[in-house]
Amino acid sequence: MPFDPVTLATPAFVLLVIAEMLFVRFTGRGRFEAKDTLASLSMGLGSVVIGAVFAFIFLGFAKLIQPYALFHIGWSWGAAAACFVLDDLRYYLWHRASHRVRWLWADHVNHHSSQHYNLSTALRQPWGGFLALPGLLFVAPLILLGFPLTMIAFVHGLNLVYQFWIHTESIGRFPRWVEAVMNTPSHHRVHHATNARYLDANYAGVFIVWDRMFATFVEETEEDPPHYGIIGQIASFNPLRIALHGWVSLGSDLIRARSLREFAFYLLAPPGWSPDGSRETSDSIKASWADFQAAQTPAE
Amino acid sequence: MNAQLLQLLISLCEVAAMAGLCVALFGWNRAAMPDLAAALGRDVAGFRPGRVGVSADAKTALVENARDGQVYLAVLRGDGVVTRRLSPATRVSREGRRLTLDLRDFTLKRAELDLADAAEWEARLKGAA
Repeated sequence: MPFDPVTLATPAFVLLVIAEMLFVRFTGRGRFEAKDTLASLSMGLGSVVIGAVFAFIFLGFAKLIQPYALFHIGWSWGAAAACFVLDDLRYYLWHRASHRVRWLWADHVNHHSSQHYNLSTALRQPWGGFLALPGLLFVAPLILLGFPLTMIAFVHGLNLVYQFWIHTESIGRFPRWVEAVMNTPSHHRVHHATNARYLDANYAGVFIVWDRMFATFVEETEEDPPHYGIIGQIASFNPLRIALHGWVSLGSDLIRARSLREFAFYLLAPPGWSPDGSRETSDSIKASWADFQAAQTPAE
Repeated sequence: MNAQLLQLLISLCEVAAMAGLCVALFGWNRAAMPDLAAALGRDVAGFRPGRVGVSADAKTALVENARDGQVYLAVLRGDGVVTRRLSPATRVSREGRRLTLDLRDFTLKRAELDLADAAEWEARLKGAA
């Protein structure tokens, strides 16, 4: 790998978080809360440590399937550019699955667990990636196409670095052509919002075109400013509780499952699924909201 | 010193510096309960505020949805509000003005409210169960 983009960008992350704090303090554009910020930063640090400890799982999986690669693609900047675009598609698919499959959501929920949306939220990263094993499957096509592992790690790092700066309320909107192609703060605010109209939208990493192509794009509107967090906001700033809450919730449901079918649905159905339908899923929330909106609209 | 350990130490210092600056700029505690109706309106489509009981410490409240009679718990956390729809699984107990709710929730196990009309809320919640 030419260099590790995340390591190289870390000092910039720190400076930008500090700059945003000062900007928000003196302009009022955005929100910070000390306990929330400390929790997010602790989650970021913890995820780096835990990620390093469990990197062998990814490496083991990659080494296992690499001999079956269709091609042998060498290092070149052209190949890296192609790998970057394909990895961004991989990110979109993985990210969409992480919101629609409870097993993956148990981990990814941590990133969404803050009621704030600022650059520190970008660093609120999960600790249990090694438990969300189906996530490995999404990277398999890149390995099987023959991209070098170091190249995959490199473009993955670039993707992560890009996504850092879009976690902010301090930036409004960019010119239309930028908003059409790139993931921006506006598009990603929608993704982090709990407003019914915004649920399960804008999964993109770098290029928002994936959402436009796969019909998951939703535009931010001024009439409905985003409110951030998750359905059933968590009531803790303790990083360990934040990291575990999704897994504890999933585990307790799996233990209570009364059949193999229930077990499979708790694991693989969208978050909120329950055998008797008594809980809310994003689909049921959106349907209730649509019904309410329709009832509010006077008949013509 | 091991390079990775040094990197971890530097990262810890960075986190401490950022958290310290955040406290200096925005404070540590914000105890004012925001607009409950607005908070619940964000969480529940078509929410209409009904009866409200705010605990004496102004950090916890019970709010009824006038639309369907469902009671919600609202708890202040940082500068945000966490709400929970109270289900039959919620265990309710009372001692004088002190109403205790045991929730089966990993991040919100228990809530205690000091309410002048705690007995009425207890009856209401047990009746709902």
